[in-house]
Amino acid sequence: MHDLVLGQYFPGNSIIHRLDPRAKLIMLVLFVVLTFVANSAGAFLLILAAAAAMMALSGIPLAIYMRGMKPILFIIIFTTVINVLMTTGEVPLFEFGIIHIYKEGIINAVTVTLRVVLLVLGSGILLTYTTSPISLTDGLETLLAPLAKLRLPVHEFSMMMTIALRFIPTLVEETDKIMNAQKARGADFSSGGLIKRAKALLPVIIPLFVSAFKRADELATAMECRCYRGGEGRGRLHVLQYRARDGAFLIAGAALLAGVIAVNIFVPLYRL
Amino acid sequence: MDAIRLENVTYTYSAGTPFEKRAVDGVTLGFEKGLLTGIMGHTGSGKSTLVNMLNGLLKPDSGTVFLGEEDIWADKKKLRSVRFRVGLVMQYPEYQLFEETVRADIAFGPGNMGLPKEEIAERVAEAARFAGVGEELLDKSPFELSGGQKRRVAVAGVMAMRPEVLVLDEPAAGLDPAGRESILSGIREYCRITGATVIIVSHSMEDMAVYCDRIAVIARGKLHMYGTREEIFAERQTLVGLGLGVPMITDIAHELRALGITLGDDIYTVEGVENSIRNLLAERTNARKG
Repeated sequence: MHDLVLGQYFPGNSIIHRLDPRAKLIMLVLFVVLTFVANSAGAFLLILAAAAAMMALSGIPLAIYMRGMKPILFIIIFTTVINVLMTTGEVPLFEFGIIHIYKEGIINAVTVTLRVVLLVLGSGILLTYTTSPISLTDGLETLLAPLAKLRLPVHEFSMMMTIALRFIPTLVEETDKIMNAQKARGADFSSGGLIKRAKALLPVIIPLFVSAFKRADELATAMECRCYRGGEGRGRLHVLQYRARDGAFLIAGAALLAGVIAVNIFVPLYRL
Repeated sequence: MDAIRLENVTYTYSAGTPFEKRAVDGVTLGFEKGLLTGIMGHTGSGKSTLVNMLNGLLKPDSGTVFLGEEDIWADKKKLRSVRFRVGLVMQYPEYQLFEETVRADIAFGPGNMGLPKEEIAERVAEAARFAGVGEELLDKSPFELSGGQKRRVAVAGVMAMRPEVLVLDEPAAGLDPAGRESILSGIREYCRITGATVIIVSHSMEDMAVYCDRIAVIARGKLHMYGTREEIFAERQTLVGLGLGVPMITDIAHELRALGITLGDDIYTVEGVENSIRNLLAERTNARKG
């Protein structure tokens, strides 16, 4: 349970940590666009270099990023195999029985792998590892504030998100605790077929739900006791403020986008 | 003879991250067979981590846990049987209840052991008696019970496995005085009648003084003291230095001694002090009459 690294804040005081969460959110959108715009070797190199630079700036050990990659390893292997085997092109590079491998297949596989890796890395560097859940939802709420004019419950949405994020570690801890308690009574979660294992989880799921409902109820009462009544007219403790570094960061992002497009057009090496 | 023994065990949480914390640091401690041993320490001293290593829920980073003569980690396949032999009641165990009836919940452990029905029924009845779960509660849903009753059901659920070593992490936390007294004396009964080795984790000096044969004091992940309650509470200064202390009644007895009133030997329980004061008063009354 504790290797649930994907989506875990890693406290620090690096420049990336201190960026305004809104800047990081915008940068993440930009980064996603970038990985899908890029379709040549040079463009990917450029993005990889940018990601590496941000990783270095974040001051988080490389091992942590690598651990975050573990859960997606299966997806990467799976798509690589499918891409290599299923894509057809003009001249096969390699043939054996019914297996035909084309250059296009390999390029396809590498491209998809790079995109998945970059997406996970990007969201890790920019958000999950370097932005505390609270400032993340703060940033999201401010960014989405204009939608409130369309009567969308932006504040309620971000409050729900804050609460959900706040309680993920609690629930993980609780699951751990309950599993241990049942293990101490001889429950066996790791042997038997699928149905037996699913059944073995009942003694964990029932108490988990009971306590989650109870906790939600208590939280609602506690919030009401402190006169919480939604977003209208509510001030905030931390007022977000753009600084020069946020501007510089976003300009660098825009420059990167321009660079990637230029490389795509002028150096279309290994292009799809 | 030690029923279960920790040999130089160490445990670190989140090794290699900024959250790294060494919770247990080179502890060697044996629990004598058939005795009730208390582990005393401050919040965060590593008590809970220590007991989670006793039944193999946590694997020590280094060091060995011996159950009798065996290293419990020698054969991973036997770990489940170790958990039947070392029953662990976790902190606030009421959250582990899940069955439709109290009876079925207490039977979960023995059921996992693969025992025949009659034997399970017998053990459920016995465990319910020890833990103070009334007959009338057995067919209720565990979710209808009060906090104290739930706690007792959870304790019974572990006792029903008849473990040779019963470990309880803060069994009385958050209960009212009557609830504390009833659950702890039930645990002591279990120890006396079944001859099992019992380990209680607590930070209440008062409870320790009343119920435990031996006391181990843990602070900052290390074992600081081990002995009988007389030996432990004689070291008042050391205990205070560790952020603990001695039972309030012992402090009062010391103050009285400073005033020239010497009480008997048992100055660790309210009952003992009460008896000595009664005796003392009786003596004085007699002396005045005579």
